[in-house]
Amino acid sequence: MKILSISFLIFMISNVNILPQSSFGLNGYSGNHSSFSSPLYNFESNVSDYSQIKDWGFSAIYGMEFANSTNSNLYGISISKTINNHNISVRYTPGYQKEFSFKTGETIILQDSTSQSLTSGFIYKELFGFGYSYKFSDDFSAGFSFRYFNQEFNREAVTVIFNDNPYLVSESTGEKINFWKGDLGINYFLNERLNFALASINLLNFGQKAENSEFEQYELKKDMGGMFGLSYHPVDETALNFVYETTNAFQLGVNGYLKNFSLGFTLFHDKYQSPSIAGIIPSIGFKSDLFEVMLSGIKYFSNRKVEHGVSGFVENGLSNIINNPYSYDKILLTVSFNLNTITEKFVEFVDVKINKDIYPTFKDNYIDYPFAYGTVVNLTDDFINVKPLSRIEGINEENIQSPGSSIAPHDTAEVPFYLIIPEKYHSDKTALSYADFYLVTTNEQPDDEFQKAILVNSSNSWDGRVSNLHYFIRKDLDFSMMNAKEILSKNKPTLDTLTYGLEDFYKANILFNSFIKNLVYTSDPRATGEYVQFPRETLELKGGDCDDLSVFYSSLLESVGIQTALVNYKTDGTIRHVSVLFNTKLSPEFARLITNNDSKYFVRENLDGKDEIWLPVETTSLTDFETAWKIGSEKFNKDAVNNLGIATGKVEIIDIY
Amino acid sequence: MKKLFAFIILTGMLSAQTFTVESINGTASYQKGGAENWTRLEKGMTLENDATIVTDDNSSVELKGENTKFKFGESAAVTTSSIKKMNIDDLLLALAMEDMMNAPKKINKSSDNTAVYGSKQGEENSPQLKADDFGIKKLNGAMQIAENGMEESAVVTAKETYRKYPATKKLPSYRIYFANILFRKGLYEEALKEYYEIDKLEITKDEKDKVNSKIEAINMKLMSE
Repeated sequence: MKILSISFLIFMISNVNILPQSSFGLNGYSGNHSSFSSPLYNFESNVSDYSQIKDWGFSAIYGMEFANSTNSNLYGISISKTINNHNISVRYTPGYQKEFSFKTGETIILQDSTSQSLTSGFIYKELFGFGYSYKFSDDFSAGFSFRYFNQEFNREAVTVIFNDNPYLVSESTGEKINFWKGDLGINYFLNERLNFALASINLLNFGQKAENSEFEQYELKKDMGGMFGLSYHPVDETALNFVYETTNAFQLGVNGYLKNFSLGFTLFHDKYQSPSIAGIIPSIGFKSDLFEVMLSGIKYFSNRKVEHGVSGFVENGLSNIINNPYSYDKILLTVSFNLNTITEKFVEFVDVKINKDIYPTFKDNYIDYPFAYGTVVNLTDDFINVKPLSRIEGINEENIQSPGSSIAPHDTAEVPFYLIIPEKYHSDKTALSYADFYLVTTNEQPDDEFQKAILVNSSNSWDGRVSNLHYFIRKDLDFSMMNAKEILSKNKPTLDTLTYGLEDFYKANILFNSFIKNLVYTSDPRATGEYVQFPRETLELKGGDCDDLSVFYSSLLESVGIQTALVNYKTDGTIRHVSVLFNTKLSPEFARLITNNDSKYFVRENLDGKDEIWLPVETTSLTDFETAWKIGSEKFNKDAVNNLGIATGKVEIIDIY
Repeated sequence: MKKLFAFIILTGMLSAQTFTVESINGTASYQKGGAENWTRLEKGMTLENDATIVTDDNSSVELKGENTKFKFGESAAVTTSSIKKMNIDDLLLALAMEDMMNAPKKINKSSDNTAVYGSKQGEENSPQLKADDFGIKKLNGAMQIAENGMEESAVVTAKETYRKYPATKKLPSYRIYFANILFRKGLYEEALKEYYEIDKLEITKDEKDKVNSKIEAINMKLMSE
């Protein structure tokens, strides 16, 4: 055996892909950025944030190194899935590999007089990894990652074969070592401008160890440490990034964003490389809703095409496979897809405020005025048109669409919800129900939904506002018309002989004496709150209170074309009183045709500028029309006119149509 | 115009009160509240706050209320509720109330638009009522209320009379009288509206000159404000 030389020179036959063990990423560090590629890189730099993936995410990175390469140019592929606040991510990294070969310095002379140099070879690989993160809130998330490594060590040595004619042969000694690394991390968004990341480095290491003591010194370094990341957005379009590791390595980066494009530069430093700023990672990207493409490079500031002695390798070891003194410049293309099978939220509810309880009889009221307002926030950078939908259990079988609203980017707006109550709807009891609210944007499925309890009153319930009594008047208008016309037809001879212009006066007189006069005053049922009978019910029950009687009389008059108004007397403290005014259509010049007392009528101007005589009638008098008119006018004179009740708001005239 | 006279002794704010008939010269009647009939007024009668009293020609009535005496002359109609002291704010409220009373909606489905078949008896014979005496009597009563220091209440009464007896709106002397009260009270916009309407009536040159001078004066005041 002849050992020609032992040079202990190392040269790399393959320095293509270096597996990172710290925060170094192939596209630089950009904080908690809104990149689809995050599953690829967050294993290193941000083990708790894969949150940019709304549903499914796929990423692949392809590249080449400015050196001879034998490795796969496919650096890695990853897949990520988000389910509610959970995200899991799996990464396969065939190109995350670093291979070293060096001469042992031994040479053997073969029998044919040729010589053979003996070598050693070390291969470091990261094969795959998986990560998990949980989003506790929009501001805070935490997670972990585990990565699986493989190391292969081989050394050729000369062995003497002793026999009758001893000779030297080359024999190879090798060992494969597999192990896991696990790390934890958290992310915190202080506000829209500033966010932080904190993660361990080599927190957990378990698996095989080198059995051959010769190889122990070449094993990947697993020094435990930590990293701290900070990202600051001085303006929306710019991010300044800084990450520091406890090994005194750091990265400084700046990212700029303009519409769908991004541009980034990251400088990096660690103690194993020179100069102090070992290199720069420029990147440029384009991002759409569906995909993201990023072109990046790694440029080292020192000459990388030199041979290194093994002594330095033994002394410092290898801490970071992807970024170390033996790494070469690279250019990389990353393509990522964000595939949603679930609806991505463009808007979401902050809250829904029920404006008022539901009174089913006030149907039109809910078409004109919202019953609820949703506080809605636009989550996007664009104007969003929102279609609000709602449905109340027990009332609506289908969603009711309210008028749409446009919301500015990241703005919060009040979105009104209107209600359509089916004509046939009727409820005898007040009950607690639920209202479902939906927000729809460009997707078929709602972006967000909200449910809230809502009180649905019975059909006879009333909110106490006299202005809403007209709903009860209109409800049974057909019924009232049928009854009114029947009575009036019986009085046809009288009506036909009237002086022209007195028809409405006498019709009101006849209808009062035919219906109202025969009723009995009865209070609302106890413990029912505000309760109003429909005209049909008042007639069937043969009585009611002032609300019921006024509603009934007004309904009878309106059904035959006589204009009415309700008079709301609020002058008696907590006791409210309602009576009826009706329009005789007589002009004041003809007042003497119906009365000798000018305090019994009141003049109101219609929109045509014509003055018409209106008469107040007290329906609860339950006597004849003349008496009811007299009582009604005395009260109206006293409370509404002489005491200035109409001007002070203590008396209110509410026209029915 | 027949001579009207009235006097009143006011010792405080007059509001809802009862009145006793102290004396009657000639003939007078009263109508109670919402009653239809008129009753001859007798000395010593007590009248509630909602009674209307009317005097015939050459007649007068003296009423006594709480710390109040009110005497009004011939051809006048006074509602006891209007014998009260009001302030400017009350007057403004009362004037505003006139508009608040109006019906806010136009009724398109009026039965007036419905064809009626058959003769309508009385249509041709409908009495075209003229500016009747009772409306004038009410304005006379309002003037006497004004002349006894209750000008605000007098204006309210006059305005109500114009509405209920439209023919009285065409009597320029009364209109000018009550418009002048508004002017004196500093209610220029209200007075101006009245003067503009009066100016459209058939009025004498003297009346027109007076009205125009008031209009000019008010416009000057409004422009200077």
